[in-house]
Amino acid sequence: MDSVFFDTYIWPALIVTAHSLAIILALLVSLAFFMLADRKIWAAAQLRKGPTMVGPFGLLQSFADILKYLLKEVIIPTTANKPVFILAPFVTMFLALSGWAVIPVSEGWAVADINVGILYIFAISSLGVYGVIMGGWASNSKYPFLGALRSAAQMVSYEVSIGLVIITVLLCVGSLNLTDIVLAQETVWFAVPLFPMFVVFFISALAETNRPPFDLPEDESALVAGFMTEYSSTLYVVFMIGELANIVLMCAMCTILFLGGWLPPVDIAPFNWVPGVVWFILKMGLMFFMFAMTKVIVPRYRYDQLMRLGWKVFLPLSLGWVVLTAGFLQYFGMAS
Amino acid sequence: MLQNLTLILPEMILFLGAMGLLMIGAFSKGDSTRTVNLGAIAILALAAATAGSFANNAQATAFNGAFVMDSFAALMKVLTFVATGIAIIMSQGYMRLEKLARFEYPVLLLLAAAGMGMMISANDLIALYMGIELQSLALYVVAAINRDSLRSTEAGLKYFVLGALSSGMLLYGASLIYGFSGSTNFVEIAAAFQPQDGILPMAQVLGLVFLLAGLAFKISAVPFHMWTPDVYEGAPTSVTAFFASAPKLAGMAIFLRIMMTGFENALVAWQQIIILLAILSMVLGAFAAIGQQNIKRLMAYSSIGHMGFALVGFAAASAAGVSSVILYMTLYVVMTLGTFACILSMRQDSGPVERISDLAGLSQTRPFMAFCLAVMMFSLAGIPPMAGFFGKLFVFRAAIDAGLYSLSIIGVLASVVGAFYYLRIVKVMYLDAPADEVNEPMPRELSILAGVMTAFTLLFFVYPSPLVELADKAGAVLMQDGMVATDMLQEHLAGH
Amino acid sequence: MHDLLDSYYPILIFMGLSAVITAALLLVPALVAPSNPDPEKNAPYECGFEAFDDARMKFDVKFYLVAILFIIFDLEVAFLFPWAVAFGDVGLFGFWSMMFFLAVLTVGFAYEWRKGALDWD
Repeated sequence: MDSVFFDTYIWPALIVTAHSLAIILALLVSLAFFMLADRKIWAAAQLRKGPTMVGPFGLLQSFADILKYLLKEVIIPTTANKPVFILAPFVTMFLALSGWAVIPVSEGWAVADINVGILYIFAISSLGVYGVIMGGWASNSKYPFLGALRSAAQMVSYEVSIGLVIITVLLCVGSLNLTDIVLAQETVWFAVPLFPMFVVFFISALAETNRPPFDLPEDESALVAGFMTEYSSTLYVVFMIGELANIVLMCAMCTILFLGGWLPPVDIAPFNWVPGVVWFILKMGLMFFMFAMTKVIVPRYRYDQLMRLGWKVFLPLSLGWVVLTAGFLQYFGMAS
Repeated sequence: MLQNLTLILPEMILFLGAMGLLMIGAFSKGDSTRTVNLGAIAILALAAATAGSFANNAQATAFNGAFVMDSFAALMKVLTFVATGIAIIMSQGYMRLEKLARFEYPVLLLLAAAGMGMMISANDLIALYMGIELQSLALYVVAAINRDSLRSTEAGLKYFVLGALSSGMLLYGASLIYGFSGSTNFVEIAAAFQPQDGILPMAQVLGLVFLLAGLAFKISAVPFHMWTPDVYEGAPTSVTAFFASAPKLAGMAIFLRIMMTGFENALVAWQQIIILLAILSMVLGAFAAIGQQNIKRLMAYSSIGHMGFALVGFAAASAAGVSSVILYMTLYVVMTLGTFACILSMRQDSGPVERISDLAGLSQTRPFMAFCLAVMMFSLAGIPPMAGFFGKLFVFRAAIDAGLYSLSIIGVLASVVGAFYYLRIVKVMYLDAPADEVNEPMPRELSILAGVMTAFTLLFFVYPSPLVELADKAGAVLMQDGMVATDMLQEHLAGH
Repeated sequence: MHDLLDSYYPILIFMGLSAVITAALLLVPALVAPSNPDPEKNAPYECGFEAFDDARMKFDVKFYLVAILFIIFDLEVAFLFPWAVAFGDVGLFGFWSMMFFLAVLTVGFAYEWRKGALDWD
């Protein structure tokens, strides 16, 4: 009896725990290098070297940074709403990490290959706005408050187009399962037939994660550091990790929805020897490189331009593309 | 599928028309209010004609029984749409003078009319709720259409908050009913709501009471009337005219339908409630109106009282009762619109006036308007031979036939009290000396409308049979429908 | 039912782990970081000034408008999800039903646009 109980409940749970732990730790470690890559790319574009001192080529720089933050004093403004103030970074990082539960890094590698994977990701990333609002409101200080408002408005505006882009992909797949979405791209990656939607998704992802050129909530010349102005020490680090994890999650989403996930670019000899996970990470890296390059190249938007782009360009464009895709599939009898 | 679309054709016309007019309004350069107004009136006329074409058809359902079209629905829809159209015609001049002319107003009224059409034809709790919300949401907005007026916005907000509360009650009741009957369809609910040993199970009564409360709010029956005086007074007068007419008709229609088809077997449970609502409404309508100085507020209490009279016929729960309610509501709408045509013409140099004392000596300054208003007041008071008298006559006769003697007596007493404040207005107009300020002449479209309504009210007794027959036929459908449900129930029981 | 739980409980474990790791990170400074507060340090930041008045001030109604528009369109997306997944099964009728729905929403969208609800000036 005991062994049956152990076999059916405890053992699988232990395996899942180990699996989850492995993914989270791998993610956290890779985040450190993503952070470094961001800085290095930025530096290279400006003909600088970037961090070089800690470790070979500055590889350990992010770890040193985190360590330094951890040892700093936590300052919470006296007027702030303490529980919410502390909860805000927690929510951000917790949600950003949780999203990874369903990401199939390679076939069958997802911790939970649920049948509504994309819906789960969509829901989790929608909740991300709460961390920002809570942080900005709880600080009880003007810059964070304004930053949080801006950020919330911006995130919800672009979420609509992200939703419509996802719908377009779903029309071509007919399943909410992330593995199915990847497998549906065996013949051709969706980035090719749905190229405009790929662009819309990429730009919306920038806005959704408050990345430049849409980093209005953290616009240092106007709002100091936006909703993070009052944050310091570990609380700040947790916020940062959460944001970065969100960005990488968006890269993973791009990879799954448009770049064929773990599939090799062409299914012939030298390419399909490489394990899927390598392809996945390569593609994610490519997306992150694009995120970083955008930060380097594109100047920051004005807020009215940002809202106009979201509501007056992306929304009609993505809605129109949904109709077009549906009509095309229906007309040619390719509906799946 | 095609049959589904055919049956909802009137609503489709209204709905597509509203969309089209919205686009015309939004994209036209310059002021398009007039065009949109005319378009809305044309669309309402078309919808009314389409609805009227179903008048002689047998009962038919669409969307898996959620939507029903019969001669009752056809009659009520025609009346509702026509009343909405008249409300738009009457609003034009007033809105222009008050600088409220916006093309959204007729569009919202069209959407409200579509909602009312849905309500009237609802044969399912979900369809009922959808219709009520579509209507109510449009009404909340038009109540607050004068955005710069504190009173108008307050009226809109008050209406919205209380309306949301009543929707909540209605939904709560609907969920209980669904829970105990396993269906949202009226016919199937009728099968499940069966009294045992003359008593309906407590839980079912609970659901029924919540539903009744929600519906009573929509027709502003006491004690769910709190919003009415404030909203009527705060909203622009042309909006009040609309509130007092079409939504009341539609509300009463769905009230009748759900009680007569969905809860026909549960009569023991709801008849007393209706009687209580009727008594409270009649009495409050009669007494609370006495002290009013503002004519819109007075009309609010008047409409509460009239809902009470209509509920008297409802309480009889017989074929005669149902047709008397239909007749009463029809006459009520005519009288209300006629009265509001006069109230909308109350305007002096300083702007629109709403106090009863502003009518002093109207018979000398504006005799035609005074005459129309006097006829309307006599009719509302129920003095023969005006149309209002026949309305009251039919409802009381139905109640007496059903053995509701005390209810009828209270009703007659309330109507005597009510006559006091109606006649006071006549007295102010005919016996008081004119004030310094003279009422401006009636606008042309309002005087035509008032004249037509007055003629109808005055001459109704000459040839009442067509309307009475229509009401009878419509009422019979509702009761027959009940028979259909009874038959279904027996089949159902035989099957087990 | 069992299968459903089977596919979802890993998410619960994953979420639990991420919560634990995040919470642990938040607890670290309590153990290792110094703490010597003083009133100036703990005052809200306002470019060196004393804070003028309450930071939770009135803000532009536009934000509210954006939130309302978001609700409408997000709801639209929520309706589209099941339709898109079942696109192959709903057939021509389902296709046109959704097109009609989208057309109605587009009418509303066009109205908002013309009325300037989407302008952020």
